[in-house]
Amino acid sequence: MRRHDTRWLIVILANLLLGWLTGLANHYLAPLSLHLYITGLLVVFAGLRVDPKQGFIATLLTGLLLDATMPVPFGTHLVLLGLIHATLLYGRRRFPREGSIFGIVVAQFANLFLFITLSFLLVSQNPRPSEAWLRIFVDLLVSQIVILLITPWFLALQSRVFEKMKIHPETGRPIAHPAS
Amino acid sequence: MLPKRFDQVSPFVTLGVIMLTWLLLPLVLKTFTRATFFEIQAPLTVADSYAHDLQDFWSNRLHSKDELLQAGRDLAGLVAKYDFSVQQNQQLEADILRLENLLNLPPLPAFRLEAARVAQRDFSGWWQRFTIRKGQNFGLTVGAPVVFSGGVVGRITEVHRYTAVVDLVTSPTFRLAASISGDNRPISYQGGLNDSFKAPRGNVEFVPLEINATRNTPRRLVTSGLGGIFPAGLSIGEITNLELSPDGLFKAGDVQLDERIGTLTEVTVLVPLNPEEL
Repeated sequence: MRRHDTRWLIVILANLLLGWLTGLANHYLAPLSLHLYITGLLVVFAGLRVDPKQGFIATLLTGLLLDATMPVPFGTHLVLLGLIHATLLYGRRRFPREGSIFGIVVAQFANLFLFITLSFLLVSQNPRPSEAWLRIFVDLLVSQIVILLITPWFLALQSRVFEKMKIHPETGRPIAHPAS
Repeated sequence: MLPKRFDQVSPFVTLGVIMLTWLLLPLVLKTFTRATFFEIQAPLTVADSYAHDLQDFWSNRLHSKDELLQAGRDLAGLVAKYDFSVQQNQQLEADILRLENLLNLPPLPAFRLEAARVAQRDFSGWWQRFTIRKGQNFGLTVGAPVVFSGGVVGRITEVHRYTAVVDLVTSPTFRLAASISGDNRPISYQGGLNDSFKAPRGNVEFVPLEINATRNTPRRLVTSGLGGIFPAGLSIGEITNLELSPDGLFKAGDVQLDERIGTLTEVTVLVPLNPEEL
């Protein structure tokens, strides 16, 4: 019997969980006029540790999920996350993919790229764009700090889920447990 | 077998093909996909809000009977006060109707009031939005005004099956024809000055030259009623400074908005009885 490959689904569910937690944090940060945007983190595991095809599917669907809840043209995150994912795949063989530190570096740069791109796309609708940049800078700073703190947890969470499901994220083959 | 160089760039080729397909995809399919992906996440968006309601319910159950009796007495006083206001309101509405008939004026837009819980706040430097826990199931419509006791909250921009998204008065995407209280000349209002750790501000333009406002002598900004979306006279905020605009023909300045917008848990949607008017 053909076994269904659920690796993309595991990554998407983890991304949904992180998206939900970020939404909760933003809900309670609203009175302080602060906003977390940590989308750059959502592409790291899929881009570095999952099989290229499965990871690409997960990244593109994550992009669509984000686009559905944000007031940006539908497809913006699909393209931006797809671009980051393609770049990661391009240099994947040369990267130390398993390390948390490298994951943090990738998440930081990916988030920086997304944040700045979105800001340039959206800041023009502000009545005084020059004043808006200060707010955007504070949000960016807070978001990058949060990414620094939670990337090891989020990568470990996804690795652990794959371990529990006994699936190797890259090959998709069952993981043999020495004890069993 | 593909050459090694192509193997390396194949992710970009794949992305290019996907982008091209995406661009050529009919709009109706994109709209359907967006709605589907939103509805998939909707339960997550409202889950926290329902959990909070449950928490409130159980914490309220812990109040003693004495506390409930005291709250009931306070409430009875409020009900008596509001009963009187309702009577006054009915009298004023009858007067308006009589004047409309006497002067052959077109009727004012009529609304049904729909209270809704705020499920999620999303306040960024790019946009400022609420998700509320009512949608098509309560007949909400896109463009419907949203208000609270302090005045304007925003307008509905997306209506989904069980939720709706409100673009707030603090958002840079929110524009409105306003006027200064006691002066019926229209001026332009736009939200979007939201510094971190500070109360939200908006921006006014095309203010007549003879109008002045300072932090010590602010002017109240209200909806003008023009455009037919918001009824006239709803409070937006206070103009705290006005300066000559670059063209020298008008003034422009800042509007201090109500700080409570960032902590609202319940709002009222003015659902138009005749949606074609919007």
